[in-house]
Formats: sequence, C-alpha cells, structure tokens
Amino acid sequence: MKKNYFFIILLIVLGSAGCKNTVDSYLNKKPTDILLSDQLWSDPSLVLSNLASLYDRVPEYQELDQYGNFADFDLAFPSAYGDYWRVQNQYYDYNNWQNWDYDYVRAINLFVQKDRLADKLDNSDKIRFLGEAQFLRANAYFDLVKRMGGVPLLLDTLQYDFNGDVASLQHARDPEASVYDFVISEFDSAANNLPKDPSIKARATWGAAMAMKSRAALYAASIAKYGATTPSVSLPNGIVGIPASKADHYYQIALDAAQKVINSNEYSLYMRYPNDLQKNFAQLFVDKNNNPEVIWVKDYKLKSRNEQFTVGNQPHSLTEDAATGGFLNPSLNLAESFEKLDNTFGPFKTDSAGNYVKYDNVGDIFKGRDARLGGTIMLPGSTFRGSSLDIWAGYILPQANDSIITGSDFGQQKVLPGQSVPSQVVGFDGPIDELEHSAQTGFYIRKFMDPTPGAGDIGTGSNVWWIRMRYAEVLLNAAESAFELGQKDLAAQYLNEVRARAGLTTPLTPDQVTFDRIVYNRKAEFAFEGQYFWDMKRWRLADKVWNGGTTDLTTLPGKADAPSTEMYGLWPYKIYDPGKSDNGKWIFKIVKPSAVTNAHQFRLGNYYSRIPDNVMANNPKLIQNPDQQ
Amino acid sequence: MINVSLQSQAIQGQQMIVVGYGTQQKKNLTAAISSVSSDDIKNVHAGATVSTSLAGKISGLSFRQSEGRPGASAGIQIRNMGTPLYVIDGVEEDQGQFNNLSPNDIASISVLKDASAAIYGVRAANGVVVVTTKQGHLDTKPTVNIDTYIGWQNFTRYPNTTVTAYQWEKYAAEAQMNEYGSTNITPQELAKWKQGGQGYQSFNWADFIDNKNAPQSSVNFNVTGGSKTTNYYLSLTRLNQNAEFREYNFNRTNIQSNITSKIGDNLKVGINVNGRIEERIHPGVPGGDDYWEPLFSVMRNRPTSQPFANDNPKYLSDIGHDAENGGLWTFANSGKYQNDWRVLQTNLHAQYDFPLKGLSAKGLFSYYYANDYFTNHEFTYNAYTYSPSDSTYNRTGGSTNPWQERGQELITQTNLQGQLNYDNTFGKNTIGATFVTELYQRKDLYNWLHDVPAVNQLNIIRESTIDTYNDSNTPQGRVSYVGRVTYNYADTYYLEVAGREDASWEWPPNHRWGFFPSVSVGWRLTNEPFFTSLIGANSILSDLKLRASWGKLGSDVDQNGNQITDPFGYISGYNYGVGTVILNGQAVNSSQDRGEPVTNITWLISHTTDIGADFALWHGQVSGSIDYFYRKRTGLLGSASNVIIPNEVGYSLPLENLNSDAQMGGEFSISYQNQIGDFSYKLGGNVNYSRAMTLVTKFAKFGNSWDNYRNSPENRLAGIFWGYQVIGQFKSQKQINNYPVNIDGQGNKTLLPGDLIYKDVNGDGVINQYDERPIGYGSGQPDFYGGINIALKWRGLDFTADFSYDGMYSFNRNWESRWPFQNGGALLDQYTNSWHRANPYDLNSQWIPGKYPALRFNDSQHSDYNKNSTFWLINVRDFRVRTLEVGYTLPKKLTNRYKMGRIRIYLDTYNLFSIDNMPSYLDPAVASNNGLQYPQNKYVDVGINLTF
Repeated sequence: MKKNYFFIILLIVLGSAGCKNTVDSYLNKKPTDILLSDQLWSDPSLVLSNLASLYDRVPEYQELDQYGNFADFDLAFPSAYGDYWRVQNQYYDYNNWQNWDYDYVRAINLFVQKDRLADKLDNSDKIRFLGEAQFLRANAYFDLVKRMGGVPLLLDTLQYDFNGDVASLQHARDPEASVYDFVISEFDSAANNLPKDPSIKARATWGAAMAMKSRAALYAASIAKYGATTPSVSLPNGIVGIPASKADHYYQIALDAAQKVINSNEYSLYMRYPNDLQKNFAQLFVDKNNNPEVIWVKDYKLKSRNEQFTVGNQPHSLTEDAATGGFLNPSLNLAESFEKLDNTFGPFKTDSAGNYVKYDNVGDIFKGRDARLGGTIMLPGSTFRGSSLDIWAGYILPQANDSIITGSDFGQQKVLPGQSVPSQVVGFDGPIDELEHSAQTGFYIRKFMDPTPGAGDIGTGSNVWWIRMRYAEVLLNAAESAFELGQKDLAAQYLNEVRARAGLTTPLTPDQVTFDRIVYNRKAEFAFEGQYFWDMKRWRLADKVWNGGTTDLTTLPGKADAPSTEMYGLWPYKIYDPGKSDNGKWIFKIVKPSAVTNAHQFRLGNYYSRIPDNVMANNPKLIQNPDQQ
Repeated sequence: MINVSLQSQAIQGQQMIVVGYGTQQKKNLTAAISSVSSDDIKNVHAGATVSTSLAGKISGLSFRQSEGRPGASAGIQIRNMGTPLYVIDGVEEDQGQFNNLSPNDIASISVLKDASAAIYGVRAANGVVVVTTKQGHLDTKPTVNIDTYIGWQNFTRYPNTTVTAYQWEKYAAEAQMNEYGSTNITPQELAKWKQGGQGYQSFNWADFIDNKNAPQSSVNFNVTGGSKTTNYYLSLTRLNQNAEFREYNFNRTNIQSNITSKIGDNLKVGINVNGRIEERIHPGVPGGDDYWEPLFSVMRNRPTSQPFANDNPKYLSDIGHDAENGGLWTFANSGKYQNDWRVLQTNLHAQYDFPLKGLSAKGLFSYYYANDYFTNHEFTYNAYTYSPSDSTYNRTGGSTNPWQERGQELITQTNLQGQLNYDNTFGKNTIGATFVTELYQRKDLYNWLHDVPAVNQLNIIRESTIDTYNDSNTPQGRVSYVGRVTYNYADTYYLEVAGREDASWEWPPNHRWGFFPSVSVGWRLTNEPFFTSLIGANSILSDLKLRASWGKLGSDVDQNGNQITDPFGYISGYNYGVGTVILNGQAVNSSQDRGEPVTNITWLISHTTDIGADFALWHGQVSGSIDYFYRKRTGLLGSASNVIIPNEVGYSLPLENLNSDAQMGGEFSISYQNQIGDFSYKLGGNVNYSRAMTLVTKFAKFGNSWDNYRNSPENRLAGIFWGYQVIGQFKSQKQINNYPVNIDGQGNKTLLPGDLIYKDVNGDGVINQYDERPIGYGSGQPDFYGGINIALKWRGLDFTADFSYDGMYSFNRNWESRWPFQNGGALLDQYTNSWHRANPYDLNSQWIPGKYPALRFNDSQHSDYNKNSTFWLINVRDFRVRTLEVGYTLPKKLTNRYKMGRIRIYLDTYNLFSIDNMPSYLDPAVASNNGLQYPQNKYVDVGINLTF
C-alpha cells in the first residue's frame, strides 16, 4: 500500500516535469488571427481583404469621420467647448496637414510586388488588383505632394539588411513636378487595368482614375500658374514649386482627362428632384441608389461600419441622442457667398438706412439665392427629418429701445412684459452665444446629413457615404482648365451646366466667366467636401484670404481674395410688440460668436507642411520646406 | 521584517512566515519579507476588497485608492515596483482573485520584496504577495464563528457646487464682463434670480445624486476543527455594498472549503475550494462609465436647471444635455447594467513523507474557472419642457438611441506542481532543499456584441438587431524547474541558494528558456561571542541579524503585469480582421501586413539587491527591521536607433532588449509591545521610500541640447512633473501694461489683475515651452509612505487605531478644478474667492483681490489655464486617520451562561479625516485631474463577533 502511494506521488512530480509533449503543449500556442502570405495570395477574397485595408488607409484631412477639421477655416464654427481652439489660434502650425506616411506607400508597393508574383490567381483578378493598387499609389503620392511638395518617389519596397549600410536607403526629394508627372501617369496606367463600370463606387474604376487624373493635373497646373504670386514658396531644383511655363501643359492634361470622362457618358449630374433644386442638392449626397453623379466614395453600411456625422451635427432640437449634435455651424461668411438668382453677389439684407429690415417669415431673407445655399446649410425656417428647426435668438422690443429678451439655455422661458407666466424666449436650437451644440452662427449644416430615423443615434449611426469624386467636379475641372487655356466658350458651357442644376438658370456668357466665378462656384458646390482648403492653397489665395487681419465681414462676397479671417453669424430675433403690425415679424443681426477671439493667419510657410523633425533627422538627404523660420 | 501582530502570546521569532513554496521561521529569514495575519486586518472595514484593508499596514507596500466605488480596489505595489504577482495557497492568481477573497478567510498575507520573490520567477519581478487561507487543526473541537457588521458610507470629499442659481448668474455675468466687456445678464435679470419664483428657481444637483449614508454590510459564517485524521475550514461570506447613488449596488458571495485528510501513515491529501459570485448592478446610464455620469452631472448641471419639468416627477425635464439629468437614472427609466463574475478555484493537493527523515514530496493540481458576464440595456426616453401659458408638457429633448450590449469572458487556468523537499538538522547544521516543477497555462476567451434594441421592455437580443460581434482567444503558457538549498549553522550563519529554469510562450521558440539564480546570506551577530562581549552582557540589544540578498529573475511581464510583446511577433504574414471596410455594399474584413518578424526579443531581467538588518531590543519588546534595496531591470524594449533607417523605408526596425531602469529606496519598521497587568499594548510603524530611475535608453536621439534636457530620461529619476513656475499674480492693470514679459503670447492683451505671472526662466521675454521646469512628482503611487498602528487592550476592552501617510506624488488640478464654468456648467465654490471688480458691470471700478484669477466664462485657452503650473499643481502630503475601533468582549462568565465561546461587539470608523494640502473638495488619493472620480468613503460601522 505504501508503495502505491509513493508511485502515485512520483508520477505527479515527474510526470508533469518530464513529459516533453506536455511541456510543448504548454509553450507552443497558436495564433487565431494570422494569415500566412501563401494562404492570402492564393485566394482572391483574401487578397481583397488586404486590398480593403489599403482602401481604408486612403489619407484624408476633412471627411465624415474627421468633421472637426471642417471648422478650421472660415466655413463653419465649431459649436463644442473642446473645439473652440479652432477659432482662437491665430497661426496655423507649420506641422498642420502633414503627411509622411511611407508605411502606407510600402504596403501598396508590397501589394504590387506580391500581385505580380502571384501564380495562384486568375489573370483577370491579378490585373484588376494591380490597377486598384496603382490607383491607390497614385492617390497616395498625390496626397503627399499636395501637402508636402516634392517627395522621394519610391516604387519598390526598401529593406534594411542589418549590415550597417543605410546610405542606399536614403533617397532625396524628387521635384514637385516629377511627382505630379508620376501621379498623372500612374492614374493612366491604373485606368487601363480597371473596369469601366459606373456602378462601382467604393473600388477604383476607369472613371475614378480619369477623374482623379484631371484633379491632379489641375493642381499641378494652378501651382505652376499661381505659384508665381508667392515666389518665396519654392526650393531649388523644383523640389517645391513648378515652373510657370508648365501651366498650360498641365491644364491641357486636366481638360483632356475630364473630357474623356464627360464624353464617355458614364456619369451625369444628379437630377432626381428637378422641382425642388434645394432638396435635389441635399439628396445628391445621401442618395446611394444608383447615384449617377457619384464616381468614388468611402462607403459605410449599417451594422457593419457606420459614420457619426449626423450624430455629431444634427440640430439640437431634433437630436436623437441627448449627448451630442450641432457641432458644425456654417458661417455667415459661407452663406453669403452663395449667389443671388440674378448671378450677382451680395450680403443678406438686414439693414435699410439704419433701420432693421423686417421679414414676415424667418426664412424669407434667404429667398432668391443659389439652391445650394439651402442644400448645404440648414437655415432658420428650414426643416430636417420632416420637422422644423427652432433657430431664433430672442425677442426684440421696439417699445423698449430695441432691448432684447433672451435666455442662456435652450428654449429658456421668461416672463415677457405684460404677461403673467413665462414663455419661451429663445430657440431650442439657439443661437445662444457660448452654448455648445446650439447654432451659434444661426446655422447648422445640411450637406451629408442623413434624414433616416436612427441616423442620429450613436448606436445606429448613418450609412451615408463620403464622396471623394463626383461628376460635378469633372465638369468644373474641365471648366477651369478651359478657362485657363483661354477656351472661354467651353468653360462657360461646363460651368453653366453645374450652375443650372443649382437653379442659376441664366447662363453666364463666355466673357462673364472670370477667375472669381471659378473660385466661387467651387466654393458653393464643394463646401464641406474637403476641396475648399486645397483649392485655396493651389490658387495661392490662402495667405490672402486668411491674412491674420481683424476685419468686418466682407461686403464683396464674390471677390476671390477678400479677407475672411473670422467667422460671423446671422441671428434672427422675433419682434415683440403686442397689438402692433410688426408683432411677430423678424429682424436679423450680424454677430461674431464670442468664442472667435483670433483672426486666422495662413503664413507662406503653411503652403507646404513641415517635414517632421524625426523624418529629417533620419534622412540627411532631405531638405526642409520653405518659409518656416 | 516586522510583523504587526496582535497575538500578544506569539513569541517573536518562532512565528512561521510563508515564503516561496514553503514556510520558514521568522527568526531564520534572510530575505525582506513582511507579513500580516488575519488579526491585523480583521478590524479594517475600508471597502469590499482585500487590497483596501492594507493602507499603512505592511512595510514596503505602497497604497493609493483613487477610486472608491462599491467593489473598487486600491492600487497596491511592493516598493513601487509595479503590479505584483499574487500567489494564493500556492497557486499564481490574478489581482481580481486576490481582491475578491473574503477577508475573513485569509490567514496571512506575506509580501516578498527582494530576491526571495525570485523563487516565483517569470511574473515575480514586481514582488509577490503570498496569501494563505485558513485551515483547521487536527484534534480540535468544531468551532463556529460568526462575524457580521453593518456600516454607513459617505464620500470623504466631493466638489462643492453650493453656488445658487442667483450666484451662478451673478458670477457668469462677472465672467462675461471680464472676458468680453459685455453680458446678456442684465442687473434687472439678476434681481429676478435673487428674488426666485417661477422660472427662477435654484436647484442643488449634488444633493440630488448623493444618497447619503449608503449601507455596507457583511456576514461571515465559518466552521473549523478537526478529527484525528481530517481537519477542515468551511466558510460562507455575503457582502453587500451600496453606492451613494440610488439603485447602484455591489454584492459578493464567497465560499471557502479547505479540507485535508491523512489517508495513510505518510500520506495527506486535501482540497481547497474557493468560489464566488460577484455582482455589480446599476441603472443603464447613457454615455460612458455609469459611475462617472452622476459625478459629472454635479459639475455639468447649472443650478438654474431642474430635474423635472414643473417639478412633476412624471416628466423628466429637458436640460439641454439630458444624459446628465439624474432624474433619468433608475431601472424603470433608463434600463439596467449588470456585471457578474462567477469563479471557482479548486486545488487538489497531496503530500507524502518518505521513510527517510526530512524527505517529502508534494503534488498540486489546480484549476481555475472564471466567467465574467455583462449585460447593459439603455432605454430611449423623453425629456419635457413645461409651458406655463397653456399648462402643457412638450417633448423637447431626450434620446431615441437605445443601446444594448452583452459581453462574456471565460478564463480557465491550469496549474500543475510537483515538489520534493528535504529538511533535516545534524547537530548545529540545518539543511533544506526544495525542487519544484511547475506548469502553468491560461486561456482567455472573450466575446462582445452590440445591439440596437427595438423595445425598452425586454432585455432580449436577436440577430436582426445585432450590429457588432467581436471575439478573441488569448492563450498563455509557462514551464519552470526550480531548485533551492538552504543551510544554517547554529542559527548564526545562513546561506540560501536558488535557481530557476524558466520557459515562456511569450518569446520566439529559440529564445524561450532562461536560467536565473538567486542567493541570500544572513549573520546573527548576537550569537557571536566577540559581539556580545563588545556590547556587554546587559545590553538592551537582544538580537541583531544582518542579511543580504541578490537575485536575478527573468520576467515576461512589464510594470503593469501585462505581457511585454506580441507572442506571435516571430510569425510574418497578415493580421486578419483588423477592420471592416465597405466595398460595393459588402462588408470586408480587412487584413494588414504584419511587417518584419521579430525573432530576437526575450526575457526582461530583473536584478534585485537587498541589504538589511533585523533587530530586537529588551528581549523582543521592541523589534524592527531596516532595509536598503535596489532593483535594476535590464532588457527593457527599445529600438536600436544606432542604425538610423529613413522613415521612407516604411517600417521601423524591430524592438530589442536594450534599455534599463532601476527602482531604489529604503524601509524602516519598528514595533513595541508590552503588557502591564491587564493592560497590553502594541505600537508599530513603518516608513518607506521608493523611487524609480531610468538608467539607459540606448541610442536615443535628440535633436538638440534642449531636446536632450527636456526629453531624455536617461540617468534621471522617473516621475518628474514639468510645468511653469508662478511667481505671483498681477495686482493692477498698470502692472500688466508695464510688464516686460509676454505672458499670454498675445502681448498680455488678455490679462487682468489676478492673473498668473509665470517665471521667464530663460529670460527671452516670452513664456513658452522653454520655460518649463520640473515642479513636481509623478501622478501614481506615492514615493514616500508609511503607517502607524496602535492596539490597546484592557480586560474586555480593546482599541485599535491605524494611520497612514503619503507624500511625493502630484495632483495636477485641471478642467473643472482649474477654470470656472468648464462646459458652461456649474460653478465650484472655490471660484467665489476670485479677483473681481467692486462693481462687475463697471469696467472702471476698483479691483478687489481674491485667491483665484478673475473669472472668465469657460475660457480654457487662457494663459492662466492652458499651462501646467505651480499654481495648479499640488505636491500632495497626506496624513490620514484610517481605522479607529473600540471593541468590547463580554466577560467569559456571561458568555458561558449562554453556552457561547466568545462575544465581542465593536464600533469603528474608517477614513474619518485626513490632514493634507489638497483643496477641501478633493480627496488626496483621487487621480482624476478634475476630481471627477468616485472618492474613497468614510465609514461608520457596528459589528459583532460570535464564537461557539
């Protein structure tokens, strides 16, 4: 008996220690989420899974997932306490809008290499994958060059072999023009390998590649042309800066590429609500059903991956989620740059010979303008999700020296003179100065806002897509290139097509097409689509419009270089004058939100972002961008 | 090391102390080990978890409880080395298992601080806490113990927002005048607020959420005893702790069953079973942390708003940010959150004593099974505005956003141990040897899903409404062979040598194994004739033992007890499922290249040195220890940037075992015990210092000398707080206008009297980052800490008092506790003491000094507030009264009459007050910069111990 126990114990002691299989099973654990290279490159659905991550890493600065950045310039005020810094910093940091994501470039190059070597894939799959990777590579370098100027153009993966020699890994910056040339030719190569299918929106197509090519060429062309106005923004050997002589060359490429898309007749302007152009314009961004205008998007899907743009920007009074909303308050600066239907520009009429102009309805002041105004901005008197907004700043009392009765909280109640019980004295959407989520400029954003019930719930979110390229841009790229090439007839033709869709039905004559018109049409068409800032840069307008000077709101909203450094708002007040005819009518005041404490200044050194210090330190062959001292 | 024990009958030195894989007589220790017994912690009622009872109790154990919510744990660290390893009844366990033992079941807690921890190897680099649970004794009669108490809890401190609606409007007007020169809040309007009345009421949100005197109670019932062959300890504990918010609760049920039986002359087998059910239940509050939201509401909600429209509790009021309206947070209105842990830990063990004297073998098989289930349902709700003109309630706010989630975690852990021991004495030579093999593995399965429920009424989930499901499977595995030899000659010379061969799944296959030795020596001077003759026969020094230890151990965990590197880093390929990308309407799981494989990472090595002495005076009436220690860690991961790879290459070189750091300090502890007639007393105390230093950050690159000074941690103490030095406050506008230094970066145009003057350290006339200097310490554990423990006994009466003190850590006031009207919300009381104009509406009126800068309205970007400075930083010093307890044991005569063994009743308090340099609304242990954290509680308890 004793012996048996002894053996049992010995077995436990030695058994656990000695058995190699046991030891191995304790130490050799298997991962559950790693695919080996051979596994991936023998199955097209897994290759697509890798490609998906490359699509996911397309660089963006302003988009639905980064909507805070829309408030960095003069388009919108950020109505959240934590974001007031956006209107309180005078200078833009030289590090802003930086991109040196060569990890991404490497991932694309690696994909191209592996795709070329893959021998277990169908040739048609290989070609399409290659085209997509080329498209993404062209786009990646386009993003690098537009932010940083010329960058090292690397098309193969680099590898350190641990021998101590790093000189072969150090590459100097290529000239800005060379990078653009590569981008243009790479979009061409991609186009040849990609399907010509306008129903494909979230993956690259022939149309997307051509349209992006026209955009890239247009950027190169305008830098060549307008770079002349900022001569110090340049580096030797064209590393930054493109010779003015190349402008026409690039404009021609832009025009040709745009015309290829136009003449292919694959896309057209969205016109599903011809009787309500304001609604039509708003729907263009949320209608995902065979939308003929949309060329390339970042897509979302409910229950798989949603976006929270609607959650973050929905009007406070109609919010589906108590904690958020109302972030982007478009500025009066933007609102007044939408033309009147007679093709003229002008501020909203608030004052007539020192007296307030009185309106019967709160929305009347906005009538007779470009349909894109109401299609881009929710105005006082607008509706969303079928309900009216409640934007009004308070009561004005003509009998008491135009004094104001208002509140400091949404829909606050106070006792009005002559009444015995309190009643509401300010809108449930504000505007209330310094109250986050309220429409502090008097406006909320409409573009990309999803009216589907639940889109404003954090838990549900929206599936509205982020449009990266649409047909209207192709037309405007063509118009601008033609204008710059002196082909004004053509320019007017393309421009009028886009303007007509916005209700500006009186065509511009070829002679009426000016640079200012080009600028303002793009601003009105593409506000909050991530174009405005880059446009201002390539036209070299950024340092003129955001010049750091504190000035009143411009009275010449159609002038391309009119300064616009601080954001203004337009607040409606209801007249309280019981028994009088004006009682219940509306007047408007132009206000500057208190949180706007500094005038934006875009310095010459901001035209190209600073190359991060560690990047500079790691590669002695790089030189820093200009004007940053 | 000193053991603060109340067992006055225990003779110092003969007491057994739990060490690695065994026990040792206290007098023979050559290692830095402190311990407490059940008697030392039984009167601490500081919360629901074991760690909360250890403040100031153990020399070398730092304590900070920043979070006091029901069921919360304190942060405890051994010598500030990081998260320790917990070993419970011989088995490695996680922190949660340690904290959620029933304190009643704990027999002793030993803290292994130096190379003595090395015997536990792989995860022991941050020290080891060894816990043993209670056992019965052979041949004892069954004893039944009942220990129960009920207590009442209140916040130690919480931000005061007693500012009324009128005051709020008044100060808001003042702030706006200061900031913009104008305000919408007219004097007429203010007069109405002062008067009150409909639409002008004031409401105190702090009182609304604070359900004072929240109860906590505990009942423990245990039976212990033994026959000739079997001993047992069986125990059941139920603890219930409410929060100071309505319907917030934590409760736990523990069982412990320890049974050992002799089944042969030389063979013992036994089983220890530990199980618990732990529940956290509260309303499903919208937003993030459900305990945070009520606390936040106190700071967020203006006193001008009300929880219910027209004071009608049927209609939640729309306050503009309704998630913070506390009227919502009930099970009925907002849903329910519940998180349950169900845990079973079973240890089977056997011991065989060989016929050869002193030789024995042990085997242990342990299985741990834990299930964490969590469910949360947040309802949609409506918020209303009352319209007095037509007496209607209109829905103007609320949420249509329903939220439902479920998470499950399943952890299993297997531990196999075989052990051979030899212990024998030959004359004056005592020899011991231990050989252990240990296999450990753990698997963590986790899944979580989110759902958008269609109804509030049912907590059911169906596929049609699920939008997210994630799962993971995380394994761990370790194998170790351990050997140790001890030798002791005549209780005078001691030597202990140990070594381990360890393997961890965390390293690449070719780097898995490592060998790590440790050694310790001791020398009892008072046994040496030359020494006794030196100090004389009548010396008060009765015992003096010098000891030193050194050990090296391989660690696969970092400071926080987490694994250091990806255990599959050596595999190249693609990570699958890194994101979801929508391509042509289809959701695609994306996969990403894993980059260069990492094949060279291996053990982080911890080198521990400890030199100490144990002493006793007056034959043990006074005893104590003193220690110096130094732990160096080498092989911390860093990148080998001696080779500079351009960023354009697109990947960075793999990390390597390059860097090193150190943790160093000292400890002193002493205790004194005596008995005079019926009066016995015991005093003890400890004082500790421990600080970290970064030694080498190999090949770190700095662009310039400032960069190097500011950012290189090399050979520098860790935990340095950088900020600006405030050298005063402006006294007048004139002083501002003439001030030569540009304080706010805008030519001082934003400054007002009372604003902070920063020191222009580099004298360049502008305040910027180059003027930052070290102004404080780290924000974690205190670097200086200790405790004082007093126990008195006179006949049936006993009295206990514990104190703890902490220093050398910093609290950086920020957000609500730095600037007024943060978020446009409530105003903290402190700001009523600010610089202000005699007449706020008159910009030319005279300035009146105060403590804080002139008010601004939520102006976080102002130079007063956008910099960390000595004005806002507090280098905390805290002396805290912990336990105060008075107990009375009924006379034996009386208890015998009722056939009871012992009856003791007691009254105690915990955290009654503290003397410190924090503002009156911030608990000194709070970690959150704005003070927005559930603080520790003050407790008042009454209880009874029964034995029969």
